Amino acid sequence: MQDHRLRLRALLAGDGNGTSRALARICALAVSELAVTGVGVTLLDQPGTPDAQQQLARASDAVAAQLEDLQFTVGEGPGRESVVTGAPVLVPDLADAGGRWPAFTPGARVAGAGAVFSFPLQLGTIGLGSLDCYRTSPGALSPQQVSTGLVLAEMAFEAVLAAVAGRAPDDLGWICDIHVEVHQASGIVMHQQGISMREALLRIRAHAYAHDLPLATVASRIVDRHLTLDTDE
Amino acid sequence: MNDQHEQRLARVLVELADTLVDDFDLLEFLSTLVQRCVELLNVTAAGVVLSDQKGGLRMAAASSEQARLVEVLAVQANDGPCLDCVHTGAPVLSADLAAETARWPRFVPAALEAGFHAASAVPMRLRHHVIGSLNLLHTGPDVVDQARVSLGQALADVATIGILQQRAVDNNTLLIEQLQTALNSRVVIEQAKGVLSSHGSVDMDRAFGALRSYARSHNLRLSELARTVAEGTADLNAILPVTPHSHPIVEPHPRQQ
Repeated sequence: MQDHRLRLRALLAGDGNGTSRALARICALAVSELAVTGVGVTLLDQPGTPDAQQQLARASDAVAAQLEDLQFTVGEGPGRESVVTGAPVLVPDLADAGGRWPAFTPGARVAGAGAVFSFPLQLGTIGLGSLDCYRTSPGALSPQQVSTGLVLAEMAFEAVLAAVAGRAPDDLGWICDIHVEVHQASGIVMHQQGISMREALLRIRAHAYAHDLPLATVASRIVDRHLTLDTDE
Repeated sequence: MNDQHEQRLARVLVELADTLVDDFDLLEFLSTLVQRCVELLNVTAAGVVLSDQKGGLRMAAASSEQARLVEVLAVQANDGPCLDCVHTGAPVLSADLAAETARWPRFVPAALEAGFHAASAVPMRLRHHVIGSLNLLHTGPDVVDQARVSLGQALADVATIGILQQRAVDNNTLLIEQLQTALNSRVVIEQAKGVLSSHGSVDMDRAFGALRSYARSHNLRLSELARTVAEGTADLNAILPVTPHSHPIVEPHPRQQ
């Protein structure tokens, strides 16, 4: 499975720079690896705030874009739900989803979607958006495909976070073995500095980079109160 | 096994099977499981790790939030009885962890550091699918007593059947959603522990204790309370009162976003 993640990362890295290139590549990989028809990535422009707006960052085809648009319009759908719950939303047959999303489902089926699968770009309360896939024909994802979807969403999360931090999007792979103390340290820094959880994680990561230390080490020092990050860090 | 113990066991089995409730929360359910394991099996500590569906293992529940126990469970993403158990689908036992350093180079030092000398892990299996492992830890060697491991397996089986029936999970779809929700809630709880520990100048164990007792006394779901704390919208002083005589506290100044 680790090999699987490395392979996806290598495929991703082989295609130049830029966050939108990275997201385009993630969408393309999702289409081929998950055997779906199209994929869109929607990002929250103000994550963590009640009036966060969703914006389409990338869509592999017109129908994927249309499905994202429909979700903005009616205010419900698989991507929205995955952002709220922090978990993937897997609907192998959209014909069964009329009760779940009465406004989204008919429009999505008319647009041509038979199955929808959304994976959140999420780490605890840090929700950045969702990776939304559709297929014209109904049918479940295999366990391997679900696993790939989760890994691709994780990579999209890292790519978006890297863009927020002004870093190259090739900086992937650190979330998969993130330590519990990193989450605790994020909470501490958020409270100490009065910033968002996302910003707190970025500052801890920046400190680790600047001092050439493992992220887990910096987190552990913050949790043990041996280290307090400067507010301008 | 005496009558009293049998009655307690019967009550716990019913409790674990009773998952057909509207507000079922997998994380709380697993917390109950590990608490009951400690009470019934007379082990020092218990925990549950779940498959993250990406090829890794994540700590989901622990019988105490003591940092060392959390570490013993978390490190099993790399090696340890839980990882072996999930891979093989069979129980894994060790009565003498000090002799297992070569087998589990990351787990053994963490376990010994935390004072554990024996460990067992039993699979949590849904049909052909191992979703995680129940870990029993003991300061003495008697945790690997076969009767106790069998009883641990029985509790894990009843718990996984409870999870399975909870939403008529006859395909993997709902199960995956539920497992991922639980794993993300676990991250939210860690983030919330950090916020509260900074607010009250307390360690993670006390921060969690404050979170749990407030949730219980106000009939709130732990994961939902943790979310409000980690999102910066909770009244931290209500959850963990800070007395004027305690350490200097930096009050939160949530930035308007």
